[in-house]
Amino acid sequence: MAVVADKSKRYDRGIRVWGAHGQEALEAARVCLLNAGPTGTETLKNLVLGGIHSFTVVDGAKVTPADLGNNFLLTADGLAASRAQVATECLKELNESVAGSYVEESPRSLMNSNPDFFRHFTLVIATQLSEAGAVTIDKICRQHGVRLLLLRSYGLLGYVRPSVPEQRIVESKPDSKVDDLRLSNPWPELEAYAASIDLAGAEDVLHSHIPYAVLLIKAAQQWRQEHDGQLPGSCAERTAFKDLLKSWQRHIDGIPLEEENFTEAVANAHKVWAPPTVSSELRAILEDSCAAHITQQSPSFWVLVAALKRFIEQEGQGQLPLEGSIPDMHASTQQYLELQRIYRAKADADAAAVEAHARNILEAAGRDPASLPTSEVKHFCKHARYLRLVRCRSLAEETEPASCRADSLRAALSSEETAANAALYVLLRAADRFHATYQRYPGSFDSEVEEDAALLKSQANALLAECGISGAGGSAAGGVSDDLVGEVCRCAAGELHVVAAVVGAIAAQEAIKLLTGQFVPVGGALVYNAMACTTSVFAF
Amino acid sequence: MIKLFSVKEKAKKDAAAANGKQQKTTAGELRVQKDISELDLPKNVSLRFPDGNDKIMNFEVTLKPDEGLYKGGAFLFSFAVPSGYPHDPPKVKCLTKVYHPNIDLEGNICLNILREDWKPVLTITAVIYGLNFLFLAPNADDPLNKEAAQMMQQSPAQFERLVAQSITRGCSIGGDYFPPCRGERSS
Amino acid sequence: MGLEGRWRDIDYLLTRQGNVVGPGFEPGPEIREFLQNDCRVLVVGAGGLGCELLKDLALSGFGNIDVIDMDTIDVSNLNRQFLFRMHDVGRSKAEIAAQRIMQRIPGVSVTAHHCMIQDKPLDFYQQFHVIVLGLDSLEARRYMNSVACSFLEYDEDGQPDLSTIKPMVDGGTEGFKGHARVLIPGVTPCFECTLWLFPPQTKFPLCTLAETPRSPAHCIEYAKIILWPKERSDDSFDADCEEHMKWVYEKALARAAEFGIQGMTYQLTQGVVKNIIPAIASTNAIVAAQCTLEALKMVTMCSTGLNNYMMYVGTDGVYTLTTPYERDEKCPICSAGVSYEVSPSTTLQQLIDGLVADPDLGKHLSAPSVSYGSTNLYMRGALEGQTRHNLEKPISELVDGEGSVIHVNDRKLVSAMKVRLKFNGTNGHMET
Repeated sequence: MAVVADKSKRYDRGIRVWGAHGQEALEAARVCLLNAGPTGTETLKNLVLGGIHSFTVVDGAKVTPADLGNNFLLTADGLAASRAQVATECLKELNESVAGSYVEESPRSLMNSNPDFFRHFTLVIATQLSEAGAVTIDKICRQHGVRLLLLRSYGLLGYVRPSVPEQRIVESKPDSKVDDLRLSNPWPELEAYAASIDLAGAEDVLHSHIPYAVLLIKAAQQWRQEHDGQLPGSCAERTAFKDLLKSWQRHIDGIPLEEENFTEAVANAHKVWAPPTVSSELRAILEDSCAAHITQQSPSFWVLVAALKRFIEQEGQGQLPLEGSIPDMHASTQQYLELQRIYRAKADADAAAVEAHARNILEAAGRDPASLPTSEVKHFCKHARYLRLVRCRSLAEETEPASCRADSLRAALSSEETAANAALYVLLRAADRFHATYQRYPGSFDSEVEEDAALLKSQANALLAECGISGAGGSAAGGVSDDLVGEVCRCAAGELHVVAAVVGAIAAQEAIKLLTGQFVPVGGALVYNAMACTTSVFAF
Repeated sequence: MIKLFSVKEKAKKDAAAANGKQQKTTAGELRVQKDISELDLPKNVSLRFPDGNDKIMNFEVTLKPDEGLYKGGAFLFSFAVPSGYPHDPPKVKCLTKVYHPNIDLEGNICLNILREDWKPVLTITAVIYGLNFLFLAPNADDPLNKEAAQMMQQSPAQFERLVAQSITRGCSIGGDYFPPCRGERSS
Repeated sequence: MGLEGRWRDIDYLLTRQGNVVGPGFEPGPEIREFLQNDCRVLVVGAGGLGCELLKDLALSGFGNIDVIDMDTIDVSNLNRQFLFRMHDVGRSKAEIAAQRIMQRIPGVSVTAHHCMIQDKPLDFYQQFHVIVLGLDSLEARRYMNSVACSFLEYDEDGQPDLSTIKPMVDGGTEGFKGHARVLIPGVTPCFECTLWLFPPQTKFPLCTLAETPRSPAHCIEYAKIILWPKERSDDSFDADCEEHMKWVYEKALARAAEFGIQGMTYQLTQGVVKNIIPAIASTNAIVAAQCTLEALKMVTMCSTGLNNYMMYVGTDGVYTLTTPYERDEKCPICSAGVSYEVSPSTTLQQLIDGLVADPDLGKHLSAPSVSYGSTNLYMRGALEGQTRHNLEKPISELVDGEGSVIHVNDRKLVSAMKVRLKFNGTNGHMET
């Protein structure tokens, strides 16, 4: 009991972001880290602090002095000892309830000798792998259904690439939400409630405490009666609609009384003609083939999307299930709570209808209709408007010339906003090719920085040429600029602590999104440009 | 971007304050100085700085309504300006016990610009005018002292009598004693 | 085994010439020597950002770091303040953080100051090359801003004197979002120039709390604002005292039950009462590392600097935006103000008359008031009677002499005008 209380205190600030259920998901996560450089240990540090279940560090290297200059999770006492072991010890100190273990072997060799090793993890975080290594681990993880994050810190350049075939997000937690109030199309119970309130006959106190939603429902109804069933459309009509509201205010000697609820009604009048819409993202999810073909294996998300679709076509008459919560409004306690009850009841009824569809769908697919808990259906319906889906291409698809999205790459290289970061993306891949050719990264030796720049540039141009992009014309023609080529050589694949800290922290955010199923993860390759303090996400 | 340090010359940071003398003031205090120097008070309002003229973050305001139900009374308010001013509003309490629908017996005041509608462009003058208005036009619809509000709505004449009585002679209303708070006639 | 080669990666950046660097970047081993031996950096706050900043600075080559924080360690810090352990709870954040950094990174010196930022004299802040802020309140930011800007001097042409600039880097986070910004007084906007960037705290009307509560938060605020002073006027409320928090929770719970309001929890009570901003390790780490990188660039010019604000939003994919905010030329805190020559024997009245008659300044003045720091020399409005006697006094008696900065207020001015007094024999000449 004491442990539980301590945990809720310890993790309180995180739980306020992702809730107790998000915390539970984190506490079940088993994370594997490839390479214990600062990029890797910083990522794990952030996750261990947040309270994952356990981690395993895979690294075959020994601790060197250069490691101590960029990695906080190693100790000087550990010089020449196993980097995996020393990092594991330092990471375990951060949180006694997280278990940690290590494998002293290079990730490359473990991937080759024992690919099954990775199947037991929830998430693999692969850092500082070359492109070839990244393609290999991506294949292994996809085969075993393990989520993957690929990370690089390279001088003043950072790279974060989630690789999940499909991330289904119920709680996308958008920054701004439009209240789902149904003011212009109230369902019968809400309409009856609004009608039951007698505006003209109400005492002054009551009159000034009628929730603005009710005022707007009444105004919308009256407007429609007077305008052939239409809602206010033009600017002038909208002003006239607000004037209609104001005309209902109480007056003393011709001066309108200050009534907060009317002020709110006028300020929120747009909710009548601009109700929440169905986003293009949601539309795409509803039309996805996964929802059309529910099988034995379909995840509950797709079963519920299929049920949602039926609800919209049938009971919903084109509308989504009601979300059910209402914003605060100036009102008496009793009137507000009554309104809140009416909205909740409708949300419950809508969720029940979706649930009935879901059970039918399960039954038709030969599955147990009771296998879907009511709480999950309700949760799904509450967030239905903001469902999101992220599908990452495999790294092989992204990197092979035959399947890479050359047009997107060309466009990114020629757009002013993304040119520099797209060039950095190309240069990172070119640096790996450079390494494959010369067994060293460009700029490794002070005396060869300039020569290496020319070689790196030709690697980049070759890569672009394979994708059908001519880099000969430099940045103006969609190539890479010499300035950036120079900067990439200057840092010689150095893993600067601050860049690793940024990459590791962005990665930890992405990991939390992947593990909790909340918020929307990056759907492609994120490039962090520490020179310009910018980021870009590319889905090539 | 601007180069501030010359690393090679190991620029030592010498005390550069040699030719600059600036007494420390907080940004909040600077703003209150502006507010106070531009105070434009109605004649029925006076201000006092109990901690001296240079401690202007705390002061007292006396309001003597010259019309309306509360005419003849004198009401004392404490203003405590937080260092977050004007991002945060001043904290105002009514130190005089008053029978008023928008002021409770602890001196809390329900005035929108002191809480939900505060904006940094507002000033001390605006707050004082807001308080003045509260005594000219008490609002029974959104009360803080519910008993007073009900009385004002249901028996306006009785309410008026109680207010007058509480000001001139003091009286008990519903078990709470309101001591007299007469202001000398202002003009 | 020695530590040679420890700084290999950072040395690439500091010893090699680059194409995308700051003005006057001169690569060489002297830069790291300067960072390690001469450069002084102050970290304000040893919390979520502070812990990260200390680590990042130490591993970026900064060898002399000071850290100031008045707080002690709480259990709820441990989800992100990675330098602290369960057994440190209750101890000084600054002291433990300093100790842990020095234990881990040989050769770095971190000096802890377990006190309020207001406790330190200006001289203390004067000694640092860069100040990095890891704060969670606007109030503390504004204080540090006034400190940094108080060192700023402008030359005769109205250009900031570079030797008086005290640069700051600031970070802040909330959930998956954060910002990093660079404040170079006199060059980039200061906090007062862009006060509007900080959203006001939501406050509920008192009458709603008292009469028409509709949400758990209304009940909690009622218990804290109305009930506590009424029923426990002898105790001052302490949000860190568990008994106090439980009391508020119980009262709020009872009130919610009375009104039929659902959803009251202890966690929510804490959140509302303490205005808790959700904070997680990863966001702090992103922001702190970005701030450190900017501090490094500012000192060394090793890469182009942030101009001057970066926003990070990690809720829907990753979205970042860098924005060059503009200075407020009339900012009472960081603006150049004006120089004004007077003779020391000029009376305050003569000074005011001179300002109003001045062909440039006079345009902005009709009935000015004058303050010197917290001292109100002549105030119109409520203090006119009490300050009138100063009008006849010579200005030299009222201020600390040559170079003193007075503030002039006037209805025609949006905010106070800074006037730097220059004493000499002639009267009333202005230089801008």
